[in-house]
Amino acid sequence: MNDLDSLIRSTPLTRRVFIQGTTLAGVAGFLAACGAGSSPKPSTDEISGPLNFANWPAYIDLTEDESSSPTLTDFKAKYGIEVNYKEDIEANEDFYATLAPLLGAGLDSGWDLIVLTDYMAARVIRAGWIEEINAANTPTAHANVRDELKGLSWDPDMKMHFPWQSGATGVGYNVKSTGRDLTKVEDLFDPAFKGKVTMLTGYPDTFSLVGLMLKAKGDITHLPADMTYEDAQKVHDYIKPYVDSGHIRKFTGNEYLQDFGSGDTWAAMVWSGDLASSGGEDDRFDFPEEGAVIWTDNMLIPKGAKHKGAAEAMIDFVYDVKNAARLAAWIYYISPVKGVADEIAKTDPDLAANELLFPSAATAKNMFPQPALEDADDIKWADLASNLEGA
Amino acid sequence: MRKTLRSRRAIPYLLMAPGLLWLLLFFVVPNLQMLLFSLSEGTLRTGFTTPPQVWDWQNFTGGIDQFSNNFRNSIVYGGLATILCFLIGYPLAYSIAFKGGRWKSLLLFMVIAPFFTSFLIRTISWKIILGNDGPLLALVRDVLHVVPANFSILGTPLAVVGGLTYQFLPFMVLPLYISIDKVDRRLIEAAQDLYAGPWRRGGAIVGGIAGALLLIALQLGLGYTSATGEDATITGILVGMVIGAVVGGVIGGYLVSQSFIRVTFPLSLPGVFAASILTFIPAIGDYVNAQLLGSPTTQMVGNVIQGRFLAQNDYPIAAALAFILMAGILLSIALYARLLGTDELTGGTA
Repeated sequence: MNDLDSLIRSTPLTRRVFIQGTTLAGVAGFLAACGAGSSPKPSTDEISGPLNFANWPAYIDLTEDESSSPTLTDFKAKYGIEVNYKEDIEANEDFYATLAPLLGAGLDSGWDLIVLTDYMAARVIRAGWIEEINAANTPTAHANVRDELKGLSWDPDMKMHFPWQSGATGVGYNVKSTGRDLTKVEDLFDPAFKGKVTMLTGYPDTFSLVGLMLKAKGDITHLPADMTYEDAQKVHDYIKPYVDSGHIRKFTGNEYLQDFGSGDTWAAMVWSGDLASSGGEDDRFDFPEEGAVIWTDNMLIPKGAKHKGAAEAMIDFVYDVKNAARLAAWIYYISPVKGVADEIAKTDPDLAANELLFPSAATAKNMFPQPALEDADDIKWADLASNLEGA
Repeated sequence: MRKTLRSRRAIPYLLMAPGLLWLLLFFVVPNLQMLLFSLSEGTLRTGFTTPPQVWDWQNFTGGIDQFSNNFRNSIVYGGLATILCFLIGYPLAYSIAFKGGRWKSLLLFMVIAPFFTSFLIRTISWKIILGNDGPLLALVRDVLHVVPANFSILGTPLAVVGGLTYQFLPFMVLPLYISIDKVDRRLIEAAQDLYAGPWRRGGAIVGGIAGALLLIALQLGLGYTSATGEDATITGILVGMVIGAVVGGVIGGYLVSQSFIRVTFPLSLPGVFAASILTFIPAIGDYVNAQLLGSPTTQMVGNVIQGRFLAQNDYPIAAALAFILMAGILLSIALYARLLGTDELTGGTA
């Protein structure tokens, strides 16, 4: 529901493609239904720019004055091409909705590299909207990706995706506004914070986290990944009165960062690294007692991408240990690259002990993956979430 | 002779052709497509089944059923915003037209000036003004201490209705100004010559009733007093009603004259009609204010249509809701036109 922000920012489409896209968007459904649509132009291995890279806010390292990104600057210098880096992804569902009409109709999405969370990455791969990544162009990535991230059911051989970062969903709060430390998901429902609480759009984060809370209370028995529709219904019924009373002001994507900045949000469901890298000094993140949600965001190359070679170069570039360490140190997320901990420990031992980057065994044990639903179930769950979101 | 006559007859149609073609291409065809969608089944992800395979009227009945709250919000917020715009806009337009003098153009420019800034920027500015660290709460919460620490205006119906009122005020003021400015001053002088004086008792009664009704509507519409349920508070409504009646009565009794009620106001009715339609239609269909300033409970039907089209890619429900909204607006305009007389639709004949 919060795609207004992404609408405000324009996607880097050329005028011609844009006109094609908008006129065809309407009939895209019919075309998709008939299985028609022209097949996109095959891409080449040539590294040419500009690389159109869509990512999430607070997900790239910045210089001291926040005017540019060392990673992107170095990439530009190494390959001599421009990078059109846009923080256009605020929520998986909203970004999917902007892609679907174009990719579904066999058109170029305008992006060369996008970043989506596991379940959404699996969905777009299933839909056949993703280019295969040429292994010959990504040797560093294949060599350095952490072993536990390999062998996923939806892409066991890393043919279609490489992880960008992993992270957790937990409780974020401004300690000055709340006046105390929050340690549990249940703290979000404290009446003292009425009207100053936000949760995340869609079901994967919100329903998992509240599901963990209800599990701790004994109301449901399943972990998020095994939750049934009845469990989801229970979660919905638990949250609903808090929405109706105005306790929960909004369901957001990444724009909770602005709301923390303006003081309109005191406590919220947030993604682990954001407040550390881009929040204020009183903004805190907590791995809740009931458990946190763990996920991985993955780099994907959309079908028909004009600069596939450049996208592969970027994938390989961020898997270089030094580059990966610099990135993780700034954004406070869990790097998918082997050896990053050692690299960071060399320069900053404190950071190497930071739970956000390198969760301890105890924390890791209390982190649980999101449900991965097939289409039919996904629609039913999404309806529950949209009922909470009011539209 | 006959030939020239025939070609002359063709001229109006030729002149209309570009406009008609435009309407056909960009209004009729898209609407037909929307109509097809509104009777289809499925989403972009699952694929669509379209007429003639299915005729899914369920989209319409189910749509009203499932999103009745959003329709109610649209009607209530759109209606309140229109009424507030009228109450603010009419005195403003009247003052500019009658008292503006040589400042008229400048004053009118100031009414339109906000349009030079993007609609979204202005709405986001309201987010800051009404926000937790904004000037308004700084005053009532930190200086006057009349509200609790976690009091918010953002995310309430008040913020949404306020935003709508602000956004659409110029749409109300401009048509009103034009029709008030057209009023022949000699008619007012004539009325005064014929002993049209102050309108004390009538003004006080009408103003009082209108003020009381407005305050009740505001309290109910903005959800500050619930009329039903466990926490129904009749005292709140009564207090508001009394305040509204007193304020309305004073304004009506002291500021409204008989010449205004008998001459100026009736002559400005075409403007009132045009202005309220111009305000109500965009206000009822708006989704930006509800999205940026509201909460999940204040979402309007425009938000549902936007979400279903752009987020869920559920075109059938979105198209059906859009048609229901269009039909509702057309119906209410037809009713309104019938009440005020169809002449007024075209600005009256005078």
